[in-house]
Amino acid sequence: MVRSPALERRSFVRAAGLSFLAALSPRRLYALERADAVYASGFRAQDGTYGIATVSLRGAVIDRIALPARAHGLAYCRVTGRGVAFARRPGTFAMIFDPQAKAEPVVISAPEGRHYYGHGHFSPDGRILYASENDFDGNRGMIGLYDATDGFARIGEFDAGGIGTHDMTVSDDGGLLIIANGGIETHPDFGRTKLNLDRMQPSLVILDAATGDIVQRHALPEPLSQLSTRHLDIDEAGRIWFACQYEGPRTDLPPLAGHFSLGEDLHFIDLPQETTERLCNYVGAIAINRRENLVGLTSPKGGAAVILDAKTGKVLAEEKVVDAAGIAAAPDGIAVSSYDGTLAATRSRLAWDQHLVRLA
Amino acid sequence: MRKIIAALTMLALSSTSALPQDANLSPPPELTPAGARLVMSKVVDGFIRPGYRRFAETSGQLTSAMMQLCMAPSPEKLKAARQAFATAATDWARIEVVRVGPVIEKNRFERILFYPDRKGTGLRQVQALIANPDETATTPDGLSGKSVAMQGLGALEFVLHGSGSETLATDANGFRCRYGLAVAGNVQKVATELLQLWDNPDGIARDWKNPGPQSAVFRTPQEAMTEVLGILVHAAEAVRDQRVESFYKGEANNTFPKQALFWRAGLTFPMINGNLQGIKTLLDTSGLRDLLNADQQSIIGSIDFVLTSLMRVSGTITPDVEAAVTDTTERQKLDFVLLNSRDLILRLNDSLGGGLGLGAGFSFSDGD
Repeated sequence: MVRSPALERRSFVRAAGLSFLAALSPRRLYALERADAVYASGFRAQDGTYGIATVSLRGAVIDRIALPARAHGLAYCRVTGRGVAFARRPGTFAMIFDPQAKAEPVVISAPEGRHYYGHGHFSPDGRILYASENDFDGNRGMIGLYDATDGFARIGEFDAGGIGTHDMTVSDDGGLLIIANGGIETHPDFGRTKLNLDRMQPSLVILDAATGDIVQRHALPEPLSQLSTRHLDIDEAGRIWFACQYEGPRTDLPPLAGHFSLGEDLHFIDLPQETTERLCNYVGAIAINRRENLVGLTSPKGGAAVILDAKTGKVLAEEKVVDAAGIAAAPDGIAVSSYDGTLAATRSRLAWDQHLVRLA
Repeated sequence: MRKIIAALTMLALSSTSALPQDANLSPPPELTPAGARLVMSKVVDGFIRPGYRRFAETSGQLTSAMMQLCMAPSPEKLKAARQAFATAATDWARIEVVRVGPVIEKNRFERILFYPDRKGTGLRQVQALIANPDETATTPDGLSGKSVAMQGLGALEFVLHGSGSETLATDANGFRCRYGLAVAGNVQKVATELLQLWDNPDGIARDWKNPGPQSAVFRTPQEAMTEVLGILVHAAEAVRDQRVESFYKGEANNTFPKQALFWRAGLTFPMINGNLQGIKTLLDTSGLRDLLNADQQSIIGSIDFVLTSLMRVSGTITPDVEAAVTDTTERQKLDFVLLNSRDLILRLNDSLGGGLGLGAGFSFSDGD
């Protein structure tokens, strides 16, 4: 069910509690009261510090939490009302936070020999937090499992079925883990250097969430072996959309997005050439507005946001957005943030990082 | 559909409206294709190709020195081989800052220098090989099939400076020397490959020097400038993260002097210095300064000051890394290097990146 913006605003204010509201400055309270929806994003402040912020529909900062280093992807659990922000690779922390400020943040760390890849997802019932991780000495992607009912204790891990794991998500029924293995080998000893661009192994994998067994695995065909499958979202019909970053020659015009389903092969979207060129062979984030059947793509390198029809794959709109960063479903359409602090009608003094998540 | 376009239009309007800027500096000048071509030509012809040429030459001299040592060992020949190693290694440090292009293909980077090696895998493999000679490691083909940690400068440092290296001065054609000769030859081979790839006028150099629709590397001037800035930022990050923090993370932390690069050869700080020289040479040679407005020229001056200070101080640190992390005065120098290397990263990433008009700093466009 899609709730109305007004209902979201009321439930947020009610759930946040008076003490939280009292702690807000008049300016922030004003921002909160006017909030039609709430997003969260990682940011860098002007003094060079990092954190995550909750944001109103119009882009006003409601609250912020400091982080020791740069965050990357975020996820939100509708059941528990908690969000999580993962450190940018090769970072080793993730912070679970309560956007309603009723609980102290919880910080978890990747175990020895692992670092986070920057993304994760909650199980639909909110009991498990999944995190994409790098077993860097084994050069294999992993999915770490954390018990959200027990202080986020690490309770296990699954082999992600590929290398350079990046984004991951969970099917609506919680039975499947969907994983984008970007295929790029990195090792924290070499910072962010990509170690295998001439022999990448991108793949898209579906795991059984109960056992970790591979249900389906799509290695990208040889002509597309340098097409790094990076980000995911699921549409209203249950199709898994993926967005890519191409590491091959810039003169190539590879497909940059596509979808697949359980039991189906990959289907690449045939974007118009000018759209592919505008995206500069690099889609940094993807988000789906299920209610309106929209797929949004952003490219910071191309300074562009593109909206597709989720049913047909056709381009509905595209706009120049300098330093386009995060993207999320808005109550109406798609919201896009940018590195210069712009989100909707507001330009804040925080530089929004790569991803934007919808809260509630 | 109308709502979608309305939402995007609102975003676009707010992105481009005359919002107040954070500083009162003039906006960056427009980056023209001609301006980018000029910078990229200087980067390729003034820095990258000369850097690889120099490394190919001195790695060749290293091979010759190893050959002479093996054929007619003596303390003088051992000293000469060690000196040739130091020269080639520090020449590598200068061009090592380029962590893009052919050097990261076919494991070339790791085959030249596998570091850091936190678990000591390479060291154990080299020690085991010397203890139990395997003749296949003394031929180029045989060596190329072995672990990259056994193929490069890290392995050769142990051969020339590790325990038992004194036997090199007396054992004619001994296994240790012949293995070291094969390693030197392997490094020379990779260095020569890199030089040839960059010297090919129809290869990567053409694509780098001509950003545009026909280039297989950079479609726009901005992409090319982002790459150059990325080399500088990543190089500065590597100095801090890989070359200093690998053994010293500040006053309150444990130290690991034997994790330092080339501690046996006393080259830990010359290698750091070489990296810094590489950054400075690239910055100076590229002409990035010419892309900044007059009121932003001080950005380069500030970076230059930090770089020069880092080189001056790191050049005075004792080559004995154990002493460097225990002596109070030397630790203060290490603290200075750590602090200022962080400052260097910020100045390159934020100040120079902003001055060049590359958004909110390079690392924000270094996506994921």
